[in-house]
Amino acid sequence: MTAPHWLAAAEIAHAYAARTLSPVELLTALLARIESLDPTLHAFVRLDADAAMQAARVAESEIAAGRGRGPLHGIPVGVKDIIDVAGLPTTCHSRILLDNVAAADAAVIARLRQAGAIIIGKLSTHEFALGGPSFDLPFPPARNPWNPAHHPGGSSSGSGAGVCAGLFPLALGSDTGGSVRNPASACGIVGLKPTYGLVSRRGVFPLSYTLDHVGPLARTVAEAALLLDGIAGHDPADPGSTPAPARQFGRLLDRGVRGLRIGFIRHFHERDMPAHPEVAAALEDAARALQAEGAEIRTVTLPSLTEFAGINRVILCSEAWSIHAPWLRARPGDYGQLTRRRLLPGAFMTAGDYVGAQRRRTQVIAAVENCLRDVDVLLCASSMDPASRLDDAEETARTYSRQARTPFNVTGHPAVAMMAGLSRGGLPVSLQLAGRYHDDATVLRVAAAYERATAWHEKKPPIG
Amino acid sequence: MDAHVAALARAAGLDKALAEFPDDVEAAAAQALHNAHVIRIPTAPAAEPWPPMRPGVGLGDTL
Repeated sequence: MTAPHWLAAAEIAHAYAARTLSPVELLTALLARIESLDPTLHAFVRLDADAAMQAARVAESEIAAGRGRGPLHGIPVGVKDIIDVAGLPTTCHSRILLDNVAAADAAVIARLRQAGAIIIGKLSTHEFALGGPSFDLPFPPARNPWNPAHHPGGSSSGSGAGVCAGLFPLALGSDTGGSVRNPASACGIVGLKPTYGLVSRRGVFPLSYTLDHVGPLARTVAEAALLLDGIAGHDPADPGSTPAPARQFGRLLDRGVRGLRIGFIRHFHERDMPAHPEVAAALEDAARALQAEGAEIRTVTLPSLTEFAGINRVILCSEAWSIHAPWLRARPGDYGQLTRRRLLPGAFMTAGDYVGAQRRRTQVIAAVENCLRDVDVLLCASSMDPASRLDDAEETARTYSRQARTPFNVTGHPAVAMMAGLSRGGLPVSLQLAGRYHDDATVLRVAAAYERATAWHEKKPPIG
Repeated sequence: MDAHVAALARAAGLDKALAEFPDDVEAAAAQALHNAHVIRIPTAPAAEPWPPMRPGVGLGDTL
């Protein structure tokens, strides 16, 4: 029998319906696991055990009374600490906002509460979703459950580490340059950056208005789809929000990939940023696995990763500067050094740099759109290397930017990262799939087919 | 530190950062220059920036 902390959300819902598990019993088991493992992993900056237990009791009584709210009812969800939960501080893992108590729930939290989900606490992030793993912040950095000496990815570090370690089944993260998909890659789970505008960012501390996304992290593709169902939807109070298409993002998960055309962007990891050999091998294995399932694999070419990354950085730094300038002027010492160094370039970028990057952005979006007329989904690398050691700042700095996630922040296309193998050192390696605007369901369909074909998601970190 | 970088930092109001973290300010200036140079800015004047302007889309009475 599967231990409660490894149950998938759908299995939890079935157990609730069968009365073999209750929300209070599950939460009690998870709190014990958190007490045991989090002193090592540091996934949480604030565990909200009392409120979570109260929500579990409410869910339990509603389910017992036959007033179920759907598949997220009674399911614990962890929340990156840049997302507002009413009554709790949104610190962004920074001294700057230690006393910043949220007056209201973010839109995504309000939706999750409506669905009956249990908000279990606030999770570690790189400072302001940007800096990097740092030891000069008010909270320690999260650690990788596969090997706590290593980085769990970021910036949604606690979201990745906690889901991977079985501290909670689902988590929310944010993704401006890959920050949902990086921890998914490093921790061997599933992380989805939805189509830009599909999920409201109201109540989420901004990093870069035109690049920011909120997305789910989970241990399986089906669970990521389920959490996306819970948080997606139009929000007129978010200027970037678009009218949402029909829900049920998991509706295609069982269809397989026969007949689908998958564009393999080999030059990202072969020429632009040559990947670690084990990552490159895993990507070739993934292409073969999808081909064996009936997909047609075509090699495709897009603008270079270097240029996508440059566009992302100019836009991110410019927009973030407009947010952080007052604090950088008055309180530069209250930022960690990595964050300060990553925010300050915005002070030296010109209006022409910013508009130029946005003009080139239009062109690279057109290139990706053009490519997606000939193929249904794109396959490429996520991280070019297994996760670095946390105590090796030089290696972390070297590997952190070696990734292929920023293209889809620049373009806004949906993209998912997931486990594609284990390195000889016992750390996850990953792949990425991207698709057409508002076709998140097809991206998840291909991911689910790959998941079934390889079963990497059944591997668990060596933490018990 | 390059005098031009220091002048730009002061113009941006970063006097305190300049005094306390001069290496960070200098590294940031170099990074900004590098970032801007890797982008092939369109030469066609008609190439517009993202996002496109859309009539009829706004916050309306939610403000």
